[in-house]
Amino acid sequence: MTTYVLKTLLRHRVRTMLTVSGAAVAMFVYCFVGSVQEGLARLTTGSDADRSLIVFQENRFCPTSSRLPEDYSDKIMDVAGVRQVMPIQVWTNNCRASLDIVVFNGAAPDQIQSSRPVELTAGDWQTFQTRRDAAIVGRNVARRRGLAVGDQFSIGDVSVYVAGVFRSTVPSEENLIYTSLRFLQYTRGLDAAGLVTQHEVLLNEDADPDRVASQIDQVLRAGPVATTTRRKGAFQASTLSDLVDLIGFAHWLGYACVALVLSLVATTTVMSVQDRIKEYAVLQTIGVRPLRALRLVLAESMILCLVGGVTGTLLAGAVLGLGGFAIGAEGATIAFRPSLSLILSGTIVSLLVGIVAGIAPAIQAATVPIVDALRQA
Amino acid sequence: MTLVELNHVSKSFSKGDETITPLDDVSLQIDAGEFVSLMGPSGTGKSTLLNLVSGIDRPDSGTIHVDGTEITGLSRSKLADWRAANLGYIFQTHNLIPVLTAYENVELPTLLLPLSSAQRRDRVQLALEAVGLVDRAEHYPRQLSGGQEQRVGIARAIVAHPKVVVADEPTGSLDTETSQQIQVLLQRLNQELNITLLMVTHDADVAAIASRQLLLDHGRFLESNGAPQSDNNKASLSS
Repeated sequence: MTTYVLKTLLRHRVRTMLTVSGAAVAMFVYCFVGSVQEGLARLTTGSDADRSLIVFQENRFCPTSSRLPEDYSDKIMDVAGVRQVMPIQVWTNNCRASLDIVVFNGAAPDQIQSSRPVELTAGDWQTFQTRRDAAIVGRNVARRRGLAVGDQFSIGDVSVYVAGVFRSTVPSEENLIYTSLRFLQYTRGLDAAGLVTQHEVLLNEDADPDRVASQIDQVLRAGPVATTTRRKGAFQASTLSDLVDLIGFAHWLGYACVALVLSLVATTTVMSVQDRIKEYAVLQTIGVRPLRALRLVLAESMILCLVGGVTGTLLAGAVLGLGGFAIGAEGATIAFRPSLSLILSGTIVSLLVGIVAGIAPAIQAATVPIVDALRQA
Repeated sequence: MTLVELNHVSKSFSKGDETITPLDDVSLQIDAGEFVSLMGPSGTGKSTLLNLVSGIDRPDSGTIHVDGTEITGLSRSKLADWRAANLGYIFQTHNLIPVLTAYENVELPTLLLPLSSAQRRDRVQLALEAVGLVDRAEHYPRQLSGGQEQRVGIARAIVAHPKVVVADEPTGSLDTETSQQIQVLLQRLNQELNITLLMVTHDADVAAIASRQLLLDHGRFLESNGAPQSDNNKASLSS
């Protein structure tokens, strides 16, 4: 009976190919939307987002407008529950939402090496620590911009030597370029000697993030610049608030893709069954049970959906993996990265849609009035 | 031994406001190994009777027993199982599955039975040999002539070793020469393999090959010479 199902699908090659292609395209988009949703979730949850704080200038949003004294780090270190403070100078080529945002984070090289979740895949730490204009580049940026170790990379007034390329367990990190703090502070146009954009605070295991954040703002209230301290996840969600709304809306696009596959495969299967209603009557005349006829139709729609859906899902996985795509605003970025859960979700959705799409035509085939159908020309 | 037994079977259809009763209190017995032909003008209930014996249609009243099983009381699924094991159906228009080869078409009914692949292979081979189409086994229906297609249809009908084979105008769509070949084949199947056959036909010459010929007229059986059957249409109608 499997031969029958497969040969039936092959008989109408064009129709099968069009349906499979449609399902593949829709599931490709579904997975792409899913990867954006996952990227946002990763950015705003997880240990990096929950167990570290960002101290930013009060009522400021774009990194270029936040200017905090670098020595705030000493005062922050004195707050109970703080394990480490990393003053960071941020420079970005675009404060607005962009698909090709370049974000430089300037910090002490030894702190970057010890506290950031990065691992060099090319280049070496020594060059990064000793050469003034050295930078280590996240592999997504390197892929997008075609950068390799030894390249000189310039954007705006910033010009760096690529000393290394890194990967990270936190996908959004792979969209950053790290330089030394001093280099970025003295970059022409920034005029930020002694100033930084933000302080990143790592907490002790038992520290309550919200209580520590409040204490930091309290301590710094006496300083020249007031601050707002939030969990890193909340800070990034707030920074990307416009995009978050858009991304939240985009999940409807994902549902629309699923509905598209459903209607496409259901239409094809209904047409296929109606064209062959006499064939199903013949099958039942020779002894095929109605339930088996139902399963034959379900198998057809499931194969169509699975072949198309899995193709689209794998293609999306490959494109996301190779493309290194990211969207960002105001120095924060969301990485689009393929994941096993995304691939599994795409496959399971394809399977379920295949079953649902086949139910109506399957019932039609199973309950066909045999005598009437046999009379058809 | 009686293999097929219809007792007081009636069947009506509604056509608009009109009610048509192609079969009215019909009774019939067919013995094992018999070859019965059923003739009659269009609309007299020949195909309806065939469909009732096949279990693809249900009577309004009366009972049908085949080899001791009352098929009128079976569910749709049970009827399908019963057909797979006990019935072969030869269609007028062959009704082969176009995407399957002749071999695969003949194999189809055996897939519904608890047979090993070797047993299936043997049965398909024997059925194709019986209809003389071993050399066309890998051909698709579109690559076969009308007569060859009908022979594949006959092989499909006998491959499961059914207790009864019904044929609905098996030569109706064939030219004279091919029709004669099919008639010879059906006779051989009945005589050599002792297959019980119930055949519907318009053609008196085709009907003549059967060991018993029945004429159905307005829901009642007549003898082949046109005389009404005795005893209110309940006779056993043995030849």
